[in-house]
Amino acid sequence: MNWMAKNRPGAAGAATGAAPIKPGPAVSIGPSANLRISNGLKEFLWLISDVPHGRILDLGPVWQSTVSFFVEKGYRVSTEDLLRVWKDFLTDEEEGFRAAPVGADTQRVSPAVLADKFLETALQYPERSFHGVLAWDLLDYFDPEVAPRLMERLSLLLHPGGAMLALFHSRPTERFHRYRVVDSQTLELIAAPTLAVHSHVFQNREILGLFGEFRSSKTFVGRDQVREGLFLK
Amino acid sequence: MWSKTPEVKPSSQSYNQPASAPLVSPSAPARESAATPAGGATSKISSGLKINGEFSGNSDLYIDGEVLGKIRLGNARVTVGPNGKVQADIEAREIFVDGTVQGNLKAGERAHFGATSRVTGSVLTPRIGIDDGARLRGKVETVRTSPARESAAPANEQDSEVLQPVAASVKVE
Repeated sequence: MNWMAKNRPGAAGAATGAAPIKPGPAVSIGPSANLRISNGLKEFLWLISDVPHGRILDLGPVWQSTVSFFVEKGYRVSTEDLLRVWKDFLTDEEEGFRAAPVGADTQRVSPAVLADKFLETALQYPERSFHGVLAWDLLDYFDPEVAPRLMERLSLLLHPGGAMLALFHSRPTERFHRYRVVDSQTLELIAAPTLAVHSHVFQNREILGLFGEFRSSKTFVGRDQVREGLFLK
Repeated sequence: MWSKTPEVKPSSQSYNQPASAPLVSPSAPARESAATPAGGATSKISSGLKINGEFSGNSDLYIDGEVLGKIRLGNARVTVGPNGKVQADIEAREIFVDGTVQGNLKAGERAHFGATSRVTGSVLTPRIGIDDGARLRGKVETVRTSPARESAAPANEQDSEVLQPVAASVKVE
């Protein structure tokens, strides 16, 4: 997939054979829904539209609307609520630490070592399994020492030419939200019990460093100052 | 917990939609129809029971206890109740989960995950329903396959592509 060579959605470039972005299935949204227009999602869909039956990895919780949206477009969806898995992992680690007998080697390990241990059980897919990864804003919630290791693994899982959508807050968030796809350019933010505290506000250069193995990137900044980053491997 | 939405009627017709029907069911099936299916007996593994083995046949199965092994009820319904804990691959016409399942699921007609469900494994089904709160760690793949063809050729081409999300095959250099 060549990002620069692709025609814009809706432009005259339909001759390239790229599948047009179709509207997703109807999703019933209440009047109080917290919706967000997402240019990043729109661009993400455009980037993966070259792969008719591509595989998507959703790193948030499983939602009917998100699964329906992608499945009805012919994609195969894998979900792994990475932040919840990480929290469960930390809880287990903490319990193991507390339960260790006196005199045992109970030194707390660094976040980086924890990350390596975490990745022995998380994100266990063959390399190049996915054509698209939806990371949402989860990197903001991981320790800055952990995030690069996650990105290293995610980069391995992504097919060359694949795309990743990641959101970054410009200031510490007060509320914890989950995201689900409403249609091809709309996300719904769902307030949820806090799974993790906001860990780090990534500067743009840090983000570029995280995605150093990707060949190009594009960022959309919303009115709420949330940066939607789109990264092409 | 197993919520209905107004547009879905709890009739058996909803299980027999034509091939042109949407691949993904937008909402849950009727809860009562899952617990007491029309026609045929339902075997029940109650809470407190723990069974290790292989299940096969045509009787619907309700699991509220613990099951380890393999479940192949190609023309029946398997329901994992809220207390159910299953470590097994499940192959059935319909699969409803409210409890915990670790294994790959293959439904001939539909699969549904309730709000309290915890599923780890791949899901292969023509239609899927997911309630808010469900936890799924694995892959969802839909297939347009009729139940008859499904039972006649269980190892179709798409099966070979099913990822094993818990397989430890990732190499980190």
